[in-house]
Amino acid sequence: MPEDNKYTQYYEVKKGDSLSKIAEQYYGDPMLYPRIFEANKDILKDPNKIKPGQKLRIP
Amino acid sequence: MKLFRKSLLLAALASVALVVGCSSMKEPATKALADAEATLATVRDDAAKYVPNDLQGVDASMADLKAKLQAGDYKSVMAAVPELTTKLTALKDAAAAKRAEMEAAVEKAKGEWTTLAADLPGMVGALESRVSALSASRKLPKGMDAAKLDSAKAGLAEAKSAWEAASAAFTSGNVTDAVAKAQEAKAKGGEAMAALGMTAAK
Repeated sequence: MPEDNKYTQYYEVKKGDSLSKIAEQYYGDPMLYPRIFEANKDILKDPNKIKPGQKLRIP
Repeated sequence: MKLFRKSLLLAALASVALVVGCSSMKEPATKALADAEATLATVRDDAAKYVPNDLQGVDASMADLKAKLQAGDYKSVMAAVPELTTKLTALKDAAAAKRAEMEAAVEKAKGEWTTLAADLPGMVGALESRVSALSASRKLPKGMDAAKLDSAKAGLAEAKSAWEAASAAFTSGNVTDAVAKAQEAKAKGGEAMAALGMTAAK
């Protein structure tokens, strides 16, 4: 996992979000959610379990 | 007739006095020029590097005085030595000032390089991962189209190329060129980020 820096892009999880929904918002394709999961493995154990307020890296 | 002989004698005496006087100037003129040459030798390297035009002027004056010394015109040499000394002092001061200016510019560039070198790999990495994700996407997100993505890809390629050139320049010791190239890389990367709707933290 690359080190965070000032160019790392983040998204703060809101109620009702899922990784596939976030992937669709940023990439246009919900099937690319594993990229977001891989980039946040230090805080996510399960791609289906995200919590509002979590700050996720968006690679 | 007597008057004529007396005049001849006086003229001869005056000539002798002139020759003796001029000969007595040979040693100080030779020494003064040798001293000036020695002084010039101590500043030549810096002058050639930082103020080559000024050095050219002093070299020309020196060559002129050497020719006069060679021709036995010691009086002209002695008369010109103070001006040559002034020119040498000015040359030394100008070279030192330019050297200090260049060294300060290099120090400033080193500071800028440190910041850019810490910054750019992160920028390039963030762009690469976003371009990779968007390139793998079956459909682009809202607000993004193929033209914007292509423009971002081109910007990323230019940023990477400029960054490689910057790193090479820094490795070869050319800090000011390295900084200029790194700034170019940052500008290109910034354009690519803007095209992708990405922002950098302050």
